[in-house]
Amino acid sequence: MNRTLLLLIVCCTCHFGCSSEENSSVKIGFIGPLTGGVSANGIGGRNSADLAIKLANSDPTKKNQYELVVLDDECKPNIGIQVATKVAANPNILGVVAHYCSAVAVGTVDVFHKFGMPMIVWGAVLPKITYGNSYPEVHRVNGTMINQNDVAAKFMVDMGYKTWVIIHDTTDYGKGHNKYFSESLEKYGGTILGSFGVTADQQDFNAELTKIKSLNPEVIYFGGITPIGVRIRTQMDRLNISAVFQGTSGIISDAYIEGTGPLAERTLAFREGDAAERLPGGSVFLEEYKKQQYSSPPEAYGPFAFAATNLLIAAIENTGSNRERITKYLNQVRNYDSVIGKITFDEYGQNMVPLITKFVVQDGDWVIWEQSEYKSGERNLSQKP
Amino acid sequence: MMHSNLKISTILTAVLTMGAMAVFFISFLLAETEISLLITVALGIGFFIFAKNQSYFENMIIFSNQRPVFFHGLIIIIISLILSICKHEHFALFMIASVTLYATACFGLTLQLGYAGLTNFAGAAFLGIGGYTVAILANNNVPIILSVLFGGITASLIGSLLILPILRTRGHYAALVTIAFSLLFKTFLELNEFLGGPQGIKIPPMNLFGWSFSEPVLGGSFYISYVILSLIVMGVVLGITRLVEKSWLGLHFDSVRIDEVASSCFGINIAFWKITAFTIGNFFIGISGGIYANMLGHIAPTNFTFGDSLILISIVILGGIGNPIGVLPAAFLILVLPEKLQFIQEYRLLLFSILVILVLIYRPDGLLNRPLRKFYKEWGPPFIGK
Repeated sequence: MNRTLLLLIVCCTCHFGCSSEENSSVKIGFIGPLTGGVSANGIGGRNSADLAIKLANSDPTKKNQYELVVLDDECKPNIGIQVATKVAANPNILGVVAHYCSAVAVGTVDVFHKFGMPMIVWGAVLPKITYGNSYPEVHRVNGTMINQNDVAAKFMVDMGYKTWVIIHDTTDYGKGHNKYFSESLEKYGGTILGSFGVTADQQDFNAELTKIKSLNPEVIYFGGITPIGVRIRTQMDRLNISAVFQGTSGIISDAYIEGTGPLAERTLAFREGDAAERLPGGSVFLEEYKKQQYSSPPEAYGPFAFAATNLLIAAIENTGSNRERITKYLNQVRNYDSVIGKITFDEYGQNMVPLITKFVVQDGDWVIWEQSEYKSGERNLSQKP
Repeated sequence: MMHSNLKISTILTAVLTMGAMAVFFISFLLAETEISLLITVALGIGFFIFAKNQSYFENMIIFSNQRPVFFHGLIIIIISLILSICKHEHFALFMIASVTLYATACFGLTLQLGYAGLTNFAGAAFLGIGGYTVAILANNNVPIILSVLFGGITASLIGSLLILPILRTRGHYAALVTIAFSLLFKTFLELNEFLGGPQGIKIPPMNLFGWSFSEPVLGGSFYISYVILSLIVMGVVLGITRLVEKSWLGLHFDSVRIDEVASSCFGINIAFWKITAFTIGNFFIGISGGIYANMLGHIAPTNFTFGDSLILISIVILGGIGNPIGVLPAAFLILVLPEKLQFIQEYRLLLFSILVILVLIYRPDGLLNRPLRKFYKEWGPPFIGK
C-alpha cells in the first residue's frame, strides 16, 4: 500500500515538473463563438486567424514563432467574461483577437482593460464597444452598424423604394440596426410602415408576416443574424410576400444561402470594408485559405479576423513581448495595409472604414452589387425570378 | 462516547484522502496542456479506485461524523492552502468562485427538487433576478451586503407570483409553469430598457466595509475576495440546507414529496410546505446570483436563458437528487470540464455531453446518492428518504 502511495506522490511531482515547461513561441488569443447558433461565423474567423498564424510561421523574415490559443465564448456574456479572464490572466498571451457577438464584447472590454490586455475586435458591430469607453487596449478592425445602415438606407432610397417594414431581433445587434437604419431612412426620406421585434430564438413568424402582408411594404428590412434570417425568408415565401428582402451584415454567410436555397435569390445585404476578392491581398487570402483545406468557409468576417491577427503579429514583431508597448503601437496604427483595406484607428481604437460593400444573392452566391446582373439591369430586384 | 472506535489508521487515511482530493482539484484546475490534464485525470481515477477498494471514503465519513470540529477545521485549512497556492491564478480563482456560487444556487434547487419535490426549471431566472437586483441597487450606491440580501428577497418575492399556478398543478405541469416563467423572464429583460435591454447592465465592483473587491488582496488576485465571500456564503447555505434536512422541516418536505395524499391525511399542510421550500430555495438562488453578477461586473439577458436553468438542474441531477454534498463535485464537473475541453474547440460541447451521459449511465442516481435517513445513531430503517 505504501509503495503505491509513494508512486502516486512521485508521479504528482513529476507531472508538475513537466507541465511547467515553457514553450518558446509567442502566444496570441482568439475568442469567438465556436458552438451555438452563429458558430459558422466563429469557426470561419478561427480558421482565418489560424491561417494568419501559419503564414507568419512560414515567413523567414519574422522574428518569432506564433501560436494561436483558441477559446469558445458560446456567444454568451458570462462565458465570454470567463474566457477573457483566462486569456488576459495568462502572462504568456500577448494580445487577443476577440468576439463576433456584440453583447459579449460589451462585457469583456472591462476585463481586458483591467488586465491591460491589447485586443482587437474582429466581428462585433455595436458602436458602444469602442465608443462607450476610453480604454486604450480596445480596438476594432470592422466598422460599426452606424456606417453600414447609413449606406444601406441611402442606396435603397436612391433605387426608388419608398416603404419599409422592419423586423429585428431583440438582441442589441438587432435593436441597434433598427435604431440606426430608422434614423438614416428618415434622413433620406423613406417611410417605415411598421417595425417588429422578435426574440432571437423565435421559430414561427406567421403572426408578424401576416400583418406585414397587409401593410404591403416594398422592402422588408431584417436586422439580425443568419438563423432567424433563414426562417423569416422561408416563411415569407409560404405567405407569398414578394417584397425585397434586405438584410444586414449578420446574414452574409454561406449558411444563409444553404438554409434558404433558391429563395435566397435577390436578398440584399451590406457589410463594412471592401470585398476580399476585390483587394490585391484579398485574393491571396482566399487562395491561401483554400490551400489549407479547412472544412468550412471563412464566412463574411473571416478576412477581418485574418487582418486583425496580422496586425497583432505586426505589433509584436515591432515592439517585442510587452503588452503595454503593443497597445501603444496599435493606438498609432495609421494606413496599415491589410486584406480589408487600409486600417486607421481613431482615438477610440475604432477603424475608420470608409467603404461599405453592397451584396446581393445571385444564383446561390453573395455577389458584389456592382458586378451583379441586378445592377446591369438583366434581372429585376422587385420581381420574382 | 464512540471516540474509542476511531483508529489512528482511520484518521490517517481519511486525512490522506482529503489531501489527495485537494491535490487532484488543484492540479485539474491549473493543468494547462492536454498532457498534464490527461495525467491528472488518470492519476485521479487511479487514486479513486485505490481509495474505494481500501474503503478510504467510508473512513472519511466515519471521521466526519465522529470528529466534526476537527473535520471542518481541516477543510478550512485545506481551502486556505489551495487559496494561498492559487493566489496569483486569476482564472483558477474565478472558476472556483463560479463553481461555489453555482453550487450555492443548486442547494436552493436541492431544497425544492430534492426535498419537497418541486421541479424548478427557472433556476437561471431566479439567478438573474438576484443579479439584476444587485445591479440596480449597486448602481444606486446601496451597500453591497444589503443589495445581495435584497437580491435573495426579491427572488423569493417574485417567485411567490408563481406559487398559485404551481399549487394548482402537479408534476410535469408544475415544471411547465416554471419553464414558461424562465422564457418570459428573458424576454422581459430584453424588452426592458431600464434594465439595460439586450446588451445588459454594468455593475460597479463590491465594497465591503471599506474593503474594495476590485483591488488585489493579500498580495494576490482581486478574485480572492470573491472566492472567500462565496465560500462563506456557500458554507452558511450548505449548513442551513443540512440542518433543514435533518430537522422536522426536512421530514415534512420528504413526506410531501413522497405522497401528498398520505401526508395530508396526517394533517400536513401541503401548500404551506411547498411554499416554504420554494421560497427558501429561491432566496438561496437569488443571493448566489447577486454575488455572481457582481463578480462578472456585467450581466445580460443571455446569461439567464432556459439553457442555463437546465445547467443548474443537471448539476443537481448529476450530483444525486437530494444530496447537497453531491452538488459540489457535480458543479465542478459541469462548469470546469467544458472549460478544460477548450482545446478541442468546436467539438467540446459534444464531448462534454457524451461524458455527462456516460456518468448518468454508470451512476444513474448521480455521483453521490442521498443517504438513507437515520432516526437514531445506530438504527436506521429506511422509513423515509430514498
